[in-house]
Amino acid sequence: MLVLSRQRDESIIIGDNIVVTIVDIRGDKVRLGIQAPTEIPVHRREVFEAIQRENMQASRVQPNELGELKEIPPARGLPKTR
Amino acid sequence: MEVQTTRFGPIHITADDLIRFPEGLPGFADCRDWVLLADGKNAALAWLQSVERPDVAFAVVSPRRHVAGYRLHVARQELEPLEFDDLRSARVLAIVGRNARSITLNLKAPVVLNLDRRLGRQVIANGDWSVQHELPSSVAARKKIA
Repeated sequence: MLVLSRQRDESIIIGDNIVVTIVDIRGDKVRLGIQAPTEIPVHRREVFEAIQRENMQASRVQPNELGELKEIPPARGLPKTR
Repeated sequence: MEVQTTRFGPIHITADDLIRFPEGLPGFADCRDWVLLADGKNAALAWLQSVERPDVAFAVVSPRRHVAGYRLHVARQELEPLEFDDLRSARVLAIVGRNARSITLNLKAPVVLNLDRRLGRQVIANGDWSVQHELPSSVAARKKIA
């Protein structure tokens, strides 16, 4: 892993269009400003990983596990499952 | 066209039913084409079915039907890839999961659809929402909705 030292208001540039700026440093907290093209998603890693894990689990849910969810009117105009 | 699904067998759809997720979803980056299916047996539900992977489908519900007061706030950047002309045509869906205790909703990362453009994205909501928001037991849930 590349390790660089930076001070407040200094930046690093990744590729030619992603800029990470040290906005503020307070105690053990660093605030980063990130400029990236919209097609590059930027996420807090632990949040992203939690969503990834949850998606993996949720993608395995079967229709018969959801019997408790009831009494909501159906969406109209969608193709239907059997 | 026909979509193969492990849960529901082959499903006939038209090209207009396809919804494109340009980035896929976290954990399913390769799954770009999806179709939203109304559940034929459980009117509470729809399924976001991957066109590319027959075994991958997410049960989805409208979160506000289950969680009063849920309002999605996201950074503008989160919605940019969806190319909304009008945000009122946004449709917000929560992915349904299960943990040991109950049915859960992922309120931290709902799916937002732009059905005008047939585009979708799983966004990250601002605020302290859980990826496993537990729904109360069925009896309590029904009372709340009623």
